[in-house]
Amino acid sequence: MLDIDEALRYLGASGADEALRQRMEGVAQDAEQRFVPRFIYRVSAVEHRPEGEWLSDLQLLLPGNSARKMLAECQRAAVLVCTLGLGFEQHMRLTQARDMSQAVLLDACGSALVEAGCDAAEKELAARFPGVYLTDRFSPGYGDLPLDLQPAICRITDSQRRLGVYVTESCLMTPQKSVTAIIGMADKPQRARIRGCAYCAMKDTCALRKGGHSCDD
Amino acid sequence: MTIDRQKLIFLDGAMGTMLQRKGLQPGENPELLNLTRPEWMRDIHAAYVEAGSNIVYANTFGANGRKLAGTGHTVEEVVSAAVRNGKAAVGDRALVAVDMGPLGELLEPMGTLTFEEAYDLFAEVVKAGAEAGADLAVIETMTDLYETKAALLAVKEQTSLPAFVTMTFDENGRTFTGCTVASMARTLEGLGADAIGLNCSLGPKQLLPILQELCSQTRLPVIAKPNAGLPDPVDGHYDLTPAEFAQAMKDAVAAGVSIIGGCCGTDPEYIRALHEAVKDMQPGQRSYVEQSFVCTPTNALALDGLHVIGERINPTGKKRFQQALLENDLDYIVDVAIQQVDAGAAILDVNVGYPGVDEVAMLPRVVKKLQAAVDLPLQLDSTNPAALEAGLRVYNGKAAVNSVNGEEKSMAAILPIVKKYGASVVALTLDEAGLPKTAEQRIAIAQRILDRAVSMGIPASDVWVDCLTLTVSAQQDQAVETLKAVQYVTDVMKLKTVLGVSNISFGLPNRMLMTQTFLIRAIQCGLSLPIVNPNQKEIMDAIAACRVLSGQDGECRAYVDRFAGEVAAKPVAAASSLTLDEAIIRGLRSDAAKLAKDALASETELQLVEGHLIPALDKVGIDYEQGKAFLPQLLGAAQAAQSVFEVIKTSLAEKGGEALKKHRVAIATVQGDIHDIGKNIVKTVMENYGYEMIDLGRDVPPETIVQAVQEQGIRLVGLSALMTTTLPAMEETVRQLKELSAPPCIMVGGAVVTEEYAARMGADAYARDARAAVEIARRLLGGN
Repeated sequence: MLDIDEALRYLGASGADEALRQRMEGVAQDAEQRFVPRFIYRVSAVEHRPEGEWLSDLQLLLPGNSARKMLAECQRAAVLVCTLGLGFEQHMRLTQARDMSQAVLLDACGSALVEAGCDAAEKELAARFPGVYLTDRFSPGYGDLPLDLQPAICRITDSQRRLGVYVTESCLMTPQKSVTAIIGMADKPQRARIRGCAYCAMKDTCALRKGGHSCDD
Repeated sequence: MTIDRQKLIFLDGAMGTMLQRKGLQPGENPELLNLTRPEWMRDIHAAYVEAGSNIVYANTFGANGRKLAGTGHTVEEVVSAAVRNGKAAVGDRALVAVDMGPLGELLEPMGTLTFEEAYDLFAEVVKAGAEAGADLAVIETMTDLYETKAALLAVKEQTSLPAFVTMTFDENGRTFTGCTVASMARTLEGLGADAIGLNCSLGPKQLLPILQELCSQTRLPVIAKPNAGLPDPVDGHYDLTPAEFAQAMKDAVAAGVSIIGGCCGTDPEYIRALHEAVKDMQPGQRSYVEQSFVCTPTNALALDGLHVIGERINPTGKKRFQQALLENDLDYIVDVAIQQVDAGAAILDVNVGYPGVDEVAMLPRVVKKLQAAVDLPLQLDSTNPAALEAGLRVYNGKAAVNSVNGEEKSMAAILPIVKKYGASVVALTLDEAGLPKTAEQRIAIAQRILDRAVSMGIPASDVWVDCLTLTVSAQQDQAVETLKAVQYVTDVMKLKTVLGVSNISFGLPNRMLMTQTFLIRAIQCGLSLPIVNPNQKEIMDAIAACRVLSGQDGECRAYVDRFAGEVAAKPVAAASSLTLDEAIIRGLRSDAAKLAKDALASETELQLVEGHLIPALDKVGIDYEQGKAFLPQLLGAAQAAQSVFEVIKTSLAEKGGEALKKHRVAIATVQGDIHDIGKNIVKTVMENYGYEMIDLGRDVPPETIVQAVQEQGIRLVGLSALMTTTLPAMEETVRQLKELSAPPCIMVGGAVVTEEYAARMGADAYARDARAAVEIARRLLGGN
């Protein structure tokens, strides 16, 4: 479930030796047993307006070029919040008091685990809307999508009551291992703009790729 | 107000759902509608009363100083308008509650809002509500027991209103912060709530098992105010009709719930249906189990067997501990706590009384620090009632107090505090007449304390009797008297007993044998809460064996685990070729400590630091820089070095010698930023290069950092920021520090900080990582 290579990357230890990798696997296994990522999402129609992408059912405006590009071919979009919850945060705190070395491994696993939770949410969404193609998920802070959308996203998903996810005045999310994301929903295949060509459904036929470019250039 | 548990009380349904229907815009502050749309409020309240509600909640859920900041309206203005709207709508047909929801910011230690700040915010709301004529106070939708306690204390201390408290639970039977049903119920009942229960979170079907558990954990009336089922993830609609909701709520009433209403997605139709469905029902019989109990939010400890109270957090006779207290070195106290947790303690006794230590300030600080790092219930141990009160006030959960005795003065000072904070208390069987000579005298004193406690409303199960261990070599006849008293208190008075056992063997050879034997005999007589040093293997071995014999250790599992592991582990101990340097490099903490102790026979403390510790850390540091070692290894070595430092500190404290001279470095995560792992990494590594790290925490205002620098003469400050949104706070901190007449050196770091940015904001250095921070400190401060 949780991607060990991704966790090692978060730790800045992609070149880890076998011993460190095994430690990471142990911590990951323990973390997965203790913590299940939880998520909520809401789906809205999208209107492509001059001032930005307007999620009309949620009354949320996504300004900027990044959202425009990501949602260009989408009729709908989902707003997602995923978190490991405060239990992880507490466990992290207790671990830090005991063993910082273990704590940094746990921290990296937490980041990978919340991403795995987002993957699970995407799967559920895909199952609920058969025949719909999803864009890569993107979050406030990606490209020019402003970070200060966080409070609005938390409000419209009622994330404080339903997941225990808050936003601080400086737009930080608590629990720290929480992610908000937008996922576009279209009726034709979508390019893997963020994850890259290797993940893209069009990788074999893409003209941009043949010319040595990518759609995120 | 005493509420009849046999009588049903109907609450209202959702406010938010109704406001949205009236036209509340997304992002609009719902509480301001009390001022701008009073007619909406009156309509909603009146509709609920007509549907059958006996109590309506005024629209004050988020009307606190934090959420109203910047609206141009005061708490007093909004809350009193809300209560007036309620009163105007319902007249004498129903009661109006002033309603308080979460503050929308996490409390320490998870967040940065302090307990005291939270209390003040709630106090402001509830006072305004009481003055405007509210009939009761409601605290609802809480997920953090600590925040709930702050709110409940504010109601109890600032008003005479009855308090209804409901929290939000997940299907796994815990709140988002991990609080258990038992911890919630017994903590809030102890603090004087008038009714407790659940609201929001789930629908009535999903909440039923949690409500059933709650009904067995409290004597108070139980409240259920669930959502209209579960929301559809896509569009947010709730899945139960009014009839289905009402039908499901019948089971809650049958389980003993007597105060009922609805939360998100419900409206007057739901309340009407509910009223119709259950109005002729009697709340079901409940089976409350009175039991001795202490807890943290996440660790509910029912005392139904043998549990160890760890005695090591106590400065008496421990030079290193005394030094830590005098130097405010709370990390040392946390280490002492962690050792006891690992050794099998179930409760930790906490005593910080020492000449030169302000116990009233220190005890709450230590309580907060310990609760952030270990998850065991605490027993606050002091003779100073003000210190006990300060400690109990900030304790999260249900604590114990050590102790009250049979003296009138002691009972008059201690028992009211125990009652107010709902704690358990150790009753020490001595009084004005001094130490009792016989079991009968001990029992009489115990009975006197118990009677007084019960007369004040403290449950008998919260009184734990200490029958006093005296030194057998000095007063041989007393051992038998103690044991007789333990037996009587257990069998006849049916109370828990506490006993500090190690005193018994004072002045004798082979003390351990005597202590262990006395412990086993006391356990046989019924001793349930021995106060011991859990780090002493023989003591914990004896307890493990006793638990098998009493059946507490089912299938001997813990006993087998304890000793099967031991046999296998022994031969490995022959790692004799390991050097101190290697032990540090490989991050072997206990080996490093052992080797350091041996090394002190032939080397001085300073030689140990300069000849082994620093070179070994440098070796790992260079590997780290070259990508041959990674962060966990760097930190592992740092922690092994820490264990060596601990040996050195203890050695110096024992000799009464001077501590190693160290440079002081202050470190903080800047204001607005709550991510502190980066800062903690730098702290761990630098500390073990011998720097004295003054950890100012996270979300630290520039002024606090400036003040620390001035007061403590700090020459180097490390600042961390993780988000672009908090970089301005870093810049501001640098600016203020540089304005000082003798500005300190400043190094900055964190995910979004770059070398260029560091230079532009006027910092002296950019620290890419923890290792770089050490190099900067060496360059700027010299030494180490």
